[in-house]
Amino acid sequence: MRTYELMTIHRPELPEEQVRAHLKKMEELLAGRGGVVKNTDFWGKRRFAYEIDHLSEGYYAVVTFEAEPPAVAELDRALALADEVVRHKIVRPGD
Amino acid sequence: MGRKGNTVKVKKRRRRPESQPRRAKKRVCHFCREGITQVDWKDVTLLRKYMSDRAKIRARRVTGNCPRHQRQVATAIKNAREMALLPYVSVK
Repeated sequence: MRTYELMTIHRPELPEEQVRAHLKKMEELLAGRGGVVKNTDFWGKRRFAYEIDHLSEGYYAVVTFEAEPPAVAELDRALALADEVVRHKIVRPGD
Repeated sequence: MGRKGNTVKVKKRRRRPESQPRRAKKRVCHFCREGITQVDWKDVTLLRKYMSDRAKIRARRVTGNCPRHQRQVATAIKNAREMALLPYVSVK
């Protein structure tokens, strides 16, 4: 299993509970495929450095987890399809 | 021809004696000194220091970073830009 770091940006017009619920859902997706969520850091609303899709802010969150590569691919796909998510990024810290 | 006003000033260059060439100031990379092995791309305030006010990445000769850390700073800034944490361009 490898350590990954996920950063998500959720749409700003959503209520915070819905964003947290969606994050929980993503964590469950990982857990269901043998992943272990180590830490979830919810940053809250933050202004963008530049406009994305005519939006100027969004909810930022950082999730650190361990998982197998196929599970990560699945997560990446789910995030790309999710309407709540403006942008996301999965990185492997340390390389 | 009136020469007043348009006199070309010739700056006299002081040549440094051959015996003592210019010595570069020895600087140690900030990250090496602090013992940071991995540059965090989420630390926006830190990365800002390595950008010009036009949001360009500062060159190594300006930052004084070692090759490894300069590379890490550059990729960290690029990652942060993708997530709109840092700008690609900034109008001055």
